[in-house]
Amino acid sequence: MQTDRRAAALMIGASAALALAPWPRQSSAAAPVPLASEPWAVSHHKERPVRGGILRVAAPLYIGSMNPNRWPVHDWFTMGLIHDRLFLNDGSYLPSAHWLAESMVQETATAVLLTLRPGVRFHDGSPMTAVGVKRQIDWIRDPDSGTWSAFMLRPLESVEAIGPLQLRFTFKEPWASFAGVMASVPGFVLPEAALGSDNDRFNAHPIGSGPYIVEEANPGNFLKLKRNPDWWLAKAVGRPDMPYFDGVHIAVIPDPGVRLANFRAGKLDVMQLAKSQYPLMMGDRRANVYVEPLPITTMLRFNSARGACADIRVRKAIGHAIDRKALLASTQHGLGRIASGLFPGDHWAHDPALAPMRYDPALARELLAQAGHGNGLTITGYMHNSPPSQTLAGAIRAMLRNVGVTWQVDLLAPTAMSARYEQGGFDLAYNPSSWIYDPDIQATGGYQPGGIGARFRTLDPDLVAMIDAARTEMRFAQRQALYHAIEGKIVEDHLNVYLWWEESATAMQKYVRGFDPAMEIAHGEAWTYSHSLWFEHGRPGKPG
Amino acid sequence: MGSLLIARAAQAAAVLCIVVLLAFAGIHLVPGDALLAAIGETGYEADSRSLEAVRQAYGMHGPVTTQFWHWLSHFVQGDWGRSIGTGQRVTEMFQQRLPVTLELFAGATFWAFGIGVPVGTISALRQGSRLDRLLSAAAMVGVSVPTFWAGILMIYVFAVWLQWLPPSGYTPFGTDPSLNLQSMLMPTFILGIHSAGLLARYVRSSLLDNMRQDYVRTARSKGLSEREVIARHAIKPSLLPIVTVVGLSWGHMLAGAFFVEVIFALPGLGRMGLEAVFAKDFPVIQALLVVVSLNVLVMNFLVDAAYALLDPRVRLVA
Repeated sequence: MQTDRRAAALMIGASAALALAPWPRQSSAAAPVPLASEPWAVSHHKERPVRGGILRVAAPLYIGSMNPNRWPVHDWFTMGLIHDRLFLNDGSYLPSAHWLAESMVQETATAVLLTLRPGVRFHDGSPMTAVGVKRQIDWIRDPDSGTWSAFMLRPLESVEAIGPLQLRFTFKEPWASFAGVMASVPGFVLPEAALGSDNDRFNAHPIGSGPYIVEEANPGNFLKLKRNPDWWLAKAVGRPDMPYFDGVHIAVIPDPGVRLANFRAGKLDVMQLAKSQYPLMMGDRRANVYVEPLPITTMLRFNSARGACADIRVRKAIGHAIDRKALLASTQHGLGRIASGLFPGDHWAHDPALAPMRYDPALARELLAQAGHGNGLTITGYMHNSPPSQTLAGAIRAMLRNVGVTWQVDLLAPTAMSARYEQGGFDLAYNPSSWIYDPDIQATGGYQPGGIGARFRTLDPDLVAMIDAARTEMRFAQRQALYHAIEGKIVEDHLNVYLWWEESATAMQKYVRGFDPAMEIAHGEAWTYSHSLWFEHGRPGKPG
Repeated sequence: MGSLLIARAAQAAAVLCIVVLLAFAGIHLVPGDALLAAIGETGYEADSRSLEAVRQAYGMHGPVTTQFWHWLSHFVQGDWGRSIGTGQRVTEMFQQRLPVTLELFAGATFWAFGIGVPVGTISALRQGSRLDRLLSAAAMVGVSVPTFWAGILMIYVFAVWLQWLPPSGYTPFGTDPSLNLQSMLMPTFILGIHSAGLLARYVRSSLLDNMRQDYVRTARSKGLSEREVIARHAIKPSLLPIVTVVGLSWGHMLAGAFFVEVIFALPGLGRMGLEAVFAKDFPVIQALLVVVSLNVLVMNFLVDAAYALLDPRVRLVA
C-alpha cells in the first residue's frame, strides 16, 4: 500500500496539487526499461510482506470529485489509489518514472511519441487504449466539458492515436513541461465512463486502473476501497501480491486532536501529525514517527510595486529582521528547513549555492535608516486567520517591531485574502503555499506579466526573458541552469521573505511494515506507489 | 386560537423572506471570490477561461441580482445548486446529513429530559438541602462547560483510556444498531447536557414557584397527601415553562451541533455548515440558512401553539 509519510502528507495537504513537472532526463530513450529493474521499483525489504487486513487512515476532508479534472478534489492521495498516471515524480520532483506510459520519444522539437503499457485494464475489465487516452485529452481540452485543468494543456496543438497503444502529441512550441503535465492532473488515465457530463454518476461508481477499487462511497463520512487483484504494476514488478492490504478505509475526521485520539485508541494505523502534535509523539515508543521534506516553500511576499516596500533596502531590512531559526523552533515545533530560495532544497530547480538570509537586526536598522526610516516605519499586510498562522504573525510582528517596523497585519479568511490581494492592499503579506513540482508554474504564475501571482511585483525584464527561455528549453542541464539563475535573480531582488521549506511528520503503528524513509526520500512518489505497506501479521495489531 | 396561529404563521413567513434576502446580501457583501480562493489553494493558477467554466457550472456568473434570481428560481423548484466545497448537489447533501443531525438532536433531547426534569424536580423538593446544592451546582456545570472541551475530554477518557466507546465516526442505525448507539452516546450526551442543565434550573424554579401558589395550599388543606399534591397540582403547571426551554434549546442545539459534529466526526448538517462557512460555500450556506431559519420558526410556532393549547390564558389574550 502507498500510505507512507509522503502519502499521508498528500492526504492532509489535500489542497496541494500534483503539479506540472519537467522533462524527464531519459526523455529520448526509445527502448522501454523493464519496470522491475528501475531503481525506484527494486524491493529492498528484508522482511517478507504479508497479505491481508484493512488499512485504516483518516483525512480532514472527503475526496470530493473522483474525476481529477472535475472540481473539487480534496484528497490527492486517495485519487492515486484509484487512478494511475502516465508518469510519476522521483525524489528530486522530476517526472522520470514511466508509469502507464511505457516509453516516450521526442520525435521533433514539437512532437512526442508516447507508448502506453500493454495489458493495463480498468477496474471494470476494459483495456487502456491509445484511442481512449486521446479521447480523454480532447475531452479535458473541450471548453464544454467544464474541466478546471484544461489550462494545463494549452501548449498542446493536437493528439492522435497512431496505433493501439501509441499516441503522437504535437505542441504549439517546444514544451519542456509535457511529462510533468502527464504526471499531474491530466495524466490520470480515465475510463470512458468518466468523460461524460454526469459526474455524479461517476462519483457513485468510479472506475480507475489503480491498486484499489472503490467499494463504498459515503460523502463526508468515509470511503471504502478494496484490493484490485489485477493491478498491472504488481505483475510488472514481479510482486503479484501487491497491494498487500485487502482494502483501505479512509475516515473523514476534521479535528487533528480527534485523529490523534483515534490513533492512540488503535482505530487508525497511519496518521499525519499536526505540527503541534509532533513534540508529543516523537518520543512515543508505541509508534514509529517519520519526518520527511515536502516540496512547499513558506514565505511572505512584498508589494514591491508601491509603498515603502518598493524600496529594495526596506525589503532587505525586513528579511534581515526575521529570525527564522527562532520562528521554526517556536511556531513550527522544529518541523521545517530554513529556506534560501523559492524552490525547496531537494528540488532539482533549486540552486544549492544559495544561502539563507542572515538574521541581523543591526543591519536591518542600518538599511532602514539609509532608506529614510530611521525613526520607524509602519507597513500593512495580512495573514491567514488559522491559529498557527496567527501565532506566526504575532512572532514576526514582534521581530519587526524590534527594528522599528510596525506591521499592521490583518488576519483574514482565504476569500478575504484574495480580495485584499486583488486590490494590492498590503506591503508584506502571506503568500499561499503550494506544492512545487514544476518550477515553471511558480515562475510563470508569480514572476511573469499576466501571472496571477505576479501582481504588485516589480519584474526585471531579464527575469521575464529567462523564464520564457526555461519554458521551452528541452535540454535538462540547460533548463536546470536557467532555473538556478531564475531563483537567484528572484532572491537577489528580495521579492519575498523566504521562511522555511516544509516538513511533515507521520505516525505509524508498530505493526505497519514496509516503510523505508531513505528510499522514500531518494525516489519520491515513484517508490511510494511501487512499494505497498503491509501488516506484520496480515491484520492490524494492538497499538504499541 | 385559529387567528393567533394564522398571525404567527404570517409573521414566520415574513421573517423567512427577510432572512433569505439578508443572507444572500450578507454572503455577497463579504469580500473575495470563493471559487478563485478555492482553486488558488490548489497551487494552480487557473486561467480565466478555466475559472469561468467552473463558475458557469456553479451558476455563479453575472451580476448579483441575476445570481439571486437564478438561485431563488431553482431553489423553489427543489434544485438547491451544487456545493463549491464538495461538488455534490446540495439537496443530496441534505438528504445524507439530515438523518445524522436528527438522530443527534433526538439523543440530545433524550438526555436533556432524562436528566433535566428529574434533577430539577428533586432539587426543588429538597430545597436548601445538600442534595439540592449538589444538583444545582451540577446543573450550572452542565450549562457552562464548553462543548468542545467536554467532547475532547470524554473522547480521551472513554475511548482512549477505557476503550469503552469509539472515539469518533458515524455508523447508520440500519447498518449496525449496536455500533450506531455506541458512536452516538458521547455526542448526544455532550449536546444534551447543556439543555439538561438549563431544564433542571427552569423546572426547579418553576416547581418552587408553584408550590407557593394558593391552589397548592388549597390542595394541602383538603387533606391530600404531599405526593398527590405534588404530582397532581404542582408538577403539571411547572412543566409549562419546559415548552419554552425546548424551543430555546432547539436553537442552542443547532449551534452546538456545529462543534459536536466536528469533534466527533459526524457527517451532519452542523459540520457541513461549518465547512461551508470557512469555504464561503454560498449554495450550502444559503440553503442551510433557509432550512435552519425555517426550523427555528416552525419550532417557535409550535411552542406558541402548545402554549395556546396548554394555557387557557394565552387563548383568552389572543
